[in-house]
Amino acid sequence: MEAYLGYFLYLLSLLTVGGIYALFALGLNVQWGFAGLFNVGIVGFAAVGAYSYALLTTAESTFHLGGFGLPLPFGMFVGMILAAAIAAVIGVICIRLRSDYLAIATIGIAEIIKLVFKNETEITNGPRGINKIPRAWEHFSEERFYSSWPLSWFASPETWESFFDWLPNWWWQPFFAGTVLLVMYVVYRLLERARMSPWGRMMTAIRENEPAARAAGKDVTTRRIEAFVIGAAIMGLAGALFAQHLRLIEPTNTFDSAKVTFLVWVMLICGGSGNNRGAMLGAFLIWTIWSASELVIGGTISLIGNVFQNLDTTILETRAGFLRMMLIGILMQVILQKYPGGILPEVRPASPKADKS
Amino acid sequence: MWDAFGFEFVNFYLIPGLVLGCIYALGAIGITLTFGILRFANFAHGEMMMMGGYLTWTIMAIVTALFGLTLHPLVAMVPATAVVIFLFLLTDKYFYKPFRKEDTIKVVMASFGMMLIIRSAVQAIWGPNQLKFVSGIAKPNEILRDVSGSIDLMLLVPNKHIWIFLGTIVIVIALSYLLNKTRIGKAMRAVSDSPDLAHVTGIDVDQVIRATWIVGGICAMAAGVFLAMDIQLLETTMGFRMLLPMFAAAILGGIGKPYGAVFGGLVIGLAEELSAYPWIGDTPLLSPGYKTGVAFAIMVIMLIVRPQGLFKGRSF
Amino acid sequence: MKNVLFGASALAMITSGAFADVTIGNPMAMTGPIPDLNAPIAAAVDLAAKSVNEQGGMFKSGEMLNIIRADSACDPTAAVDAVTKLINVSNVAAIVGPVCSGATIAQAESVSIPAGVVTLSVSASSPAISTMEDGTDLVFRAAASDAYQGVALAELAIEKGYMDMAVSYANDDYNAAIAAVFVDAYTAAGGTVTANEAHEPSKASYRSEVATLGSTSDNLALFAYYGSGGITVMRNALETAAFSNFIGADGMLSDEVIEQIGAENMGGVTFTTSASDPTTEAYAAWSAVAEAGGVPAADPFVPNGYDAAFMMALAIEKAGTADRGAIAAALREISSAPGEIILPGEWAKAKEILAAGGDINYEGGAGNQDFDENGDVAGLFSKSEVVDGAWVAELIK
Repeated sequence: MEAYLGYFLYLLSLLTVGGIYALFALGLNVQWGFAGLFNVGIVGFAAVGAYSYALLTTAESTFHLGGFGLPLPFGMFVGMILAAAIAAVIGVICIRLRSDYLAIATIGIAEIIKLVFKNETEITNGPRGINKIPRAWEHFSEERFYSSWPLSWFASPETWESFFDWLPNWWWQPFFAGTVLLVMYVVYRLLERARMSPWGRMMTAIRENEPAARAAGKDVTTRRIEAFVIGAAIMGLAGALFAQHLRLIEPTNTFDSAKVTFLVWVMLICGGSGNNRGAMLGAFLIWTIWSASELVIGGTISLIGNVFQNLDTTILETRAGFLRMMLIGILMQVILQKYPGGILPEVRPASPKADKS
Repeated sequence: MWDAFGFEFVNFYLIPGLVLGCIYALGAIGITLTFGILRFANFAHGEMMMMGGYLTWTIMAIVTALFGLTLHPLVAMVPATAVVIFLFLLTDKYFYKPFRKEDTIKVVMASFGMMLIIRSAVQAIWGPNQLKFVSGIAKPNEILRDVSGSIDLMLLVPNKHIWIFLGTIVIVIALSYLLNKTRIGKAMRAVSDSPDLAHVTGIDVDQVIRATWIVGGICAMAAGVFLAMDIQLLETTMGFRMLLPMFAAAILGGIGKPYGAVFGGLVIGLAEELSAYPWIGDTPLLSPGYKTGVAFAIMVIMLIVRPQGLFKGRSF
Repeated sequence: MKNVLFGASALAMITSGAFADVTIGNPMAMTGPIPDLNAPIAAAVDLAAKSVNEQGGMFKSGEMLNIIRADSACDPTAAVDAVTKLINVSNVAAIVGPVCSGATIAQAESVSIPAGVVTLSVSASSPAISTMEDGTDLVFRAAASDAYQGVALAELAIEKGYMDMAVSYANDDYNAAIAAVFVDAYTAAGGTVTANEAHEPSKASYRSEVATLGSTSDNLALFAYYGSGGITVMRNALETAAFSNFIGADGMLSDEVIEQIGAENMGGVTFTTSASDPTTEAYAAWSAVAEAGGVPAADPFVPNGYDAAFMMALAIEKAGTADRGAIAAALREISSAPGEIILPGEWAKAKEILAAGGDINYEGGAGNQDFDENGDVAGLFSKSEVVDGAWVAELIK
């Protein structure tokens, strides 16, 4: 029984992290899939969202600026807005660059953002990072939340304390996973609506044939900046959820471009760029492969070790992690070449006329 | 005026900056050629450099094990170069060529994937720990020190840096001969300037592409080995850490312009080292924590202000 | 996706359930920035399991102690994922592990504390870990907090007569933390910090940084990992003759440093590390065990790795069950007085005493391992200098 609970909780964690990555992939899909903007600076926006959330919602601390103890949704909202604001500045300056140039510019800007978080120790606690980040639902069992509004309105702190003690220690996990999935679903619905709208069709037109779109009198540059900003806002939101999931963020390893940016790109390409469902499917699929491959590889190694008792498996153990990364790289090459559209290729919204016929 | 100020400035900031600049320059040549001729930003270039260092190390280790000799890295580099060129051509054939007629983005993604594959392969084969390339401390070359000291211009340059300077000069001269005097070199320049026109004039584009990988491979190899000679050790992330500064150098010099890349590399190298110089007061101008940001900042500013680069390269 | 999941969990079930009876999760850092430090620590953890299994195993029935290793990569994301799998899928009794402080805090706050699983870190030394928990008693560490080592290093600097020092630290969680403690303690003890700069790890050149720092002082306090830039900083400093004296902490202490830089250049180098008194019986027992097991006894955090895994096994034995709830209390009991002293490798003896209902007190190779209320251990520290081409450690009194 307990083993099944464990599997259930692991499934929840896959859904949680998969959902967060799905948000990243959706954000990237707006930029790349809709508008053809090659953004390789995902970590930068993720870090802005995560840090704003962390600084605004943590309890007061001597390690970093504030700890303003503000409500969680507010922190997430500000994370989103700040990521969008930074994207707007970058967009106005860089959006006219051609694809690879934009890629190099965004990767450079993302690295600079990370360097700022790393070096402005007074604000961010530098490389030591910010911990005790409140996580949605679980945070209610912290005293500073259950002893204040809105929970204090329902019952006394003592009642809440005994209530949370009575709950199984994993009670918040389904709720947190549900919240992440809900946020993802809402973003997905909104994006689908945008994609079907004239705005979405205009984005496709701009991506496919820019001169024609320009000739038709469309404001290409503004539309592109819009897509860039919307995508970045979603990434900022995902970053805030990421911070909640990890509860500690620091600039170097949490926001490693190879792990965040690259993984999200693989997810989008694999799932099908231009297709929101594809982006989400790719995120869940790749994250599950990424996470579960450690179990499979680890299991295989210990199986080898148990079958061939005299074999030293230490070297396999220490190298296995790299094989995992290689696996993801090869997987992406295969998908790029054999399934260029991804698992769920882009489906163009039918024009209103076609609907009628 | 060669007072204490000049002595410190030249020996501890200028020369190290030039050394770093030479390494960036060699790496940036390959990037700028690939960018100009094949029209994509090759993210795997840094890993090829790193791979070159590891292969050189392996050849040195094998020779030491078999014959008890210690090869100079510059000698061991020659057979390793052949392997790196082979790898470049192999990755091109299987991973980049399928996308040649398609969106640039795909081949860039493919090179991003190659970057990870190569790095993980090196980590899996050689292990993640750093390897010793050459041990000990490089003391300044005594002849140069005494000669320059006798005319009050004391230069402290270790032998490894003299090799790096000479090697870079030789490669750049050879490159300029290739590009200006040989048929294939002229063809490379033509393709870089205008692929359609080059095609019309009957240039064999496939041959030009092969030549690009070979030239880029030699430069990447040299950059990797020079880097390993300078820091005297090998680590698996050393290529990636050089990648963005090298992109910056290529962009600064103008895409498709090898001389621009050399110039850009030297500028970026100098800018990084000089950023820690106490220009104002006695603390570093820029906290060394931000040192890596110098190249990024130059790169982003260049992209915004003058994307065609200082040498009027290609602008897309 | 379900198939993948099912296959993964089925395989994990086979491999973790069929062979192992008591499992401890061991998230190390095989990938990430410090693979060099990681390998010997992992070997020490395995060695502890070997000691246990060779001397009768766990409990009366002699069950095997199985270490399930995972990769935390010094990265909060990877650590949280790895520990989630260890706790939920591999169903481990406890966590002996994360090497890096950031990964330790993240996995504890995000996964192991909410799940009620004990974590005993082998080398996380950040002062932040002491104040991390809110009323739970689930996070312990077998390595002393940098709050102690930084002070010991500052005293050492004063004792050596370095009244002014330049400080250069790699901008990562471990080095930034210990540098901050050092600077405070050193200034308080009357020393002058002439310059204090962070540097980016793993750069190709630090010549300009060391030149700028070197113009202020002849002594450098260097906080870095030898495996990611530390050696290059030292080499550049020696090449440009910017500094003649170096002090630093355990991130720099490795034979690799001597091999790379050359013993003849390391006259003015002193590094501290958390250590136990080499004259004690515990250390002698540890070095015998380590030598028999082919593990470098004096490398950073290697004795701590052995102690941590061995103590966790003792705690589970003491609790009499692999249930997660009882382990924390048992961990406190087996590590502190009163009780019969147990030294590294003495599993059979400990098992016998515990079976008879007796009390034990583990004294490890890395120190006496008595946890205070924060789950921290006090540290003794040694200073190491190069004599005849090898590190020679001497305890700081």
